[in-house]
Amino acid sequence: MSGLKEARIWLTILAAVVLLPVFVRHAIATEIWIFAIFGLGLNLLLGYTGLLSFGQATFFGSAGYVAGYLLKHYGVGVPLVLAVGIAVGALTAAVVGYLCVQRADLYFIMLTFALNQMFYFTAYQWTSVTGGEDGMPGIPRPDVLGLDIHGPLAYYALVAVLFLVALWVMKRIVESPLGKILQSIRENAPRAEALGYDVARMKLAAFVIGGAFSGLAGVLYAMLFGIVPLEAIGFVFSGNVVFATLIGGSGSLYGPVIGAFVFIWLSESVSAMWARWPLLLGVAFVIVVLFFRGGVVEAWARFWAWRAARRALTAMGADVSR
Amino acid sequence: MKFSLLVSQLLNGLATGMLYALMGIGLSIITGVLNIPNFAHGALFALGAYLLYSVIQLVGNFWLALLLAPLGVGLLGILIELGGIRPLYKAGHDYQLLLTFGLSLIVTEGIIIVWSPVGMSQLPPPLLRGGVDLGITFYPKYRLFVMVAAALLVLGAWLFLEKTRYGAIMRAGIEDKEMVTLLGIDVHRLFTAAFALGCVLAGVAGALTAPIRGLNPLMGVDMLGIAFVVVALAGLGNLLGSIVAGVLVGVAQSLVALYWPEASVAVIFAVMAAVLLVRPQGLFGIR
Repeated sequence: MSGLKEARIWLTILAAVVLLPVFVRHAIATEIWIFAIFGLGLNLLLGYTGLLSFGQATFFGSAGYVAGYLLKHYGVGVPLVLAVGIAVGALTAAVVGYLCVQRADLYFIMLTFALNQMFYFTAYQWTSVTGGEDGMPGIPRPDVLGLDIHGPLAYYALVAVLFLVALWVMKRIVESPLGKILQSIRENAPRAEALGYDVARMKLAAFVIGGAFSGLAGVLYAMLFGIVPLEAIGFVFSGNVVFATLIGGSGSLYGPVIGAFVFIWLSESVSAMWARWPLLLGVAFVIVVLFFRGGVVEAWARFWAWRAARRALTAMGADVSR
Repeated sequence: MKFSLLVSQLLNGLATGMLYALMGIGLSIITGVLNIPNFAHGALFALGAYLLYSVIQLVGNFWLALLLAPLGVGLLGILIELGGIRPLYKAGHDYQLLLTFGLSLIVTEGIIIVWSPVGMSQLPPPLLRGGVDLGITFYPKYRLFVMVAAALLVLGAWLFLEKTRYGAIMRAGIEDKEMVTLLGIDVHRLFTAAFALGCVLAGVAGALTAPIRGLNPLMGVDMLGIAFVVVALAGLGNLLGSIVAGVLVGVAQSLVALYWPEASVAVIFAVMAAVLLVRPQGLFGIR
């Protein structure tokens, strides 16, 4: 990608970060960037390595619970809690990933889901720690390095900065040699293996990094709402992040960011109106899959290609009114 | 711990294990032949249970309901395959997953809207109420019936897959789709048939489960994970493996329920994780 285009994208993102809280409720704006971090982690697997994980909530929720517990009962500071959350995300991903990466394709997908269920039912039953069905409420939001982040805008600023850092880190990862190896695995795993790369270990590395991003998102989510709901570790959350990433477009670094924006904004608007909104979500899944495959980024590119073609034709004097 | 309790829990594990095997076999046929991740399999299981409930309400006959409910689920399966999955044959697993996951949300929410968000119960048919004395323990008749019925269905599925022409085509479809097409077999019809068959098996498992565990809208989701466990352990299209895997997790669950009831669901997945730790390729050596 050319430097100029790159600069334009980052300027757009910066502008979005600054302007979003002006137009959208602060909690929703914050949730959008949290979900974007979550999506970035998934997309390293889905878009770059070609691994469809349907268990990302495992790492999101586990990190949320551990961080929430530390904040609530031990009064641990935010920087440490963030680090712990990232570590918990990476660690749970290492365990789950170790079991999953040895199996390919459909088995891999089913295993990520099944292990997600194991963590879910553990959280569901371990009520003394997680609060079970009621969730883990009363998570405080202590000062960060002397800065008060109680206000919604202050917390938004913290999350937005962390999102920008996360995006930059992910950009460095996908452009690094590791990122290139992961992409070669996506394109042709046997060939990558033949070239001497340990494919299973590389996949595991991607899984652990994705887990770390999910963990960060999970902690930020817990502090945003002051509660870790049971859903945060449930499979619907895992499905949502897959959906958000796909509507944004898994083919680019920025796809999950756009996806998070569209998904959170729409779901927050709709879920407030109707308790049975998962029905609409399901309908949306089906419609998008059947008619809008490729996501927003690709639809946008197609639109521009169509316009360019139309312009070229007009310049040649062709009649494009029909 | 009384010995009779242990025996009856073992039998319970066997009965639920056979139902898990049925789910696993249905899912394995669908996943194997169509090469898609079917996240709607659990919701279709739940639909089987609810259809049984409603047919009984309407006509008052359990046996007719046990026949009609799975057929209804199979019919819906045909519609799903034709309308939703067929356009996605060439799309990636991500989109196929999203479609089936979306359908699963629709069916689950549909159940909540049409029936009820809270659980309901369903009595076994009069003939199968009460229990029988097995000598060691007193055991509910209906659960014995489920064991036998599930065993017969698995046997039927085995006979169908191994001894009939259609079954041979289906197995060939799991092994090598290209070859099947080259032999001049209409692969689209094969896909529809396989999907419908898998749905019927999910529906019948759901219908059989209703009088044991009652009905609730989330019963399908819980079962979906278990069906995945069975397939992951047994391998696609492996009937014997599915029975072994189903009974293994069913019995493990029942026994853990005796000593540590809170862990009885999580243990299903823990058993899977433990097996995969030792044998990453599953019980029977598939990739």
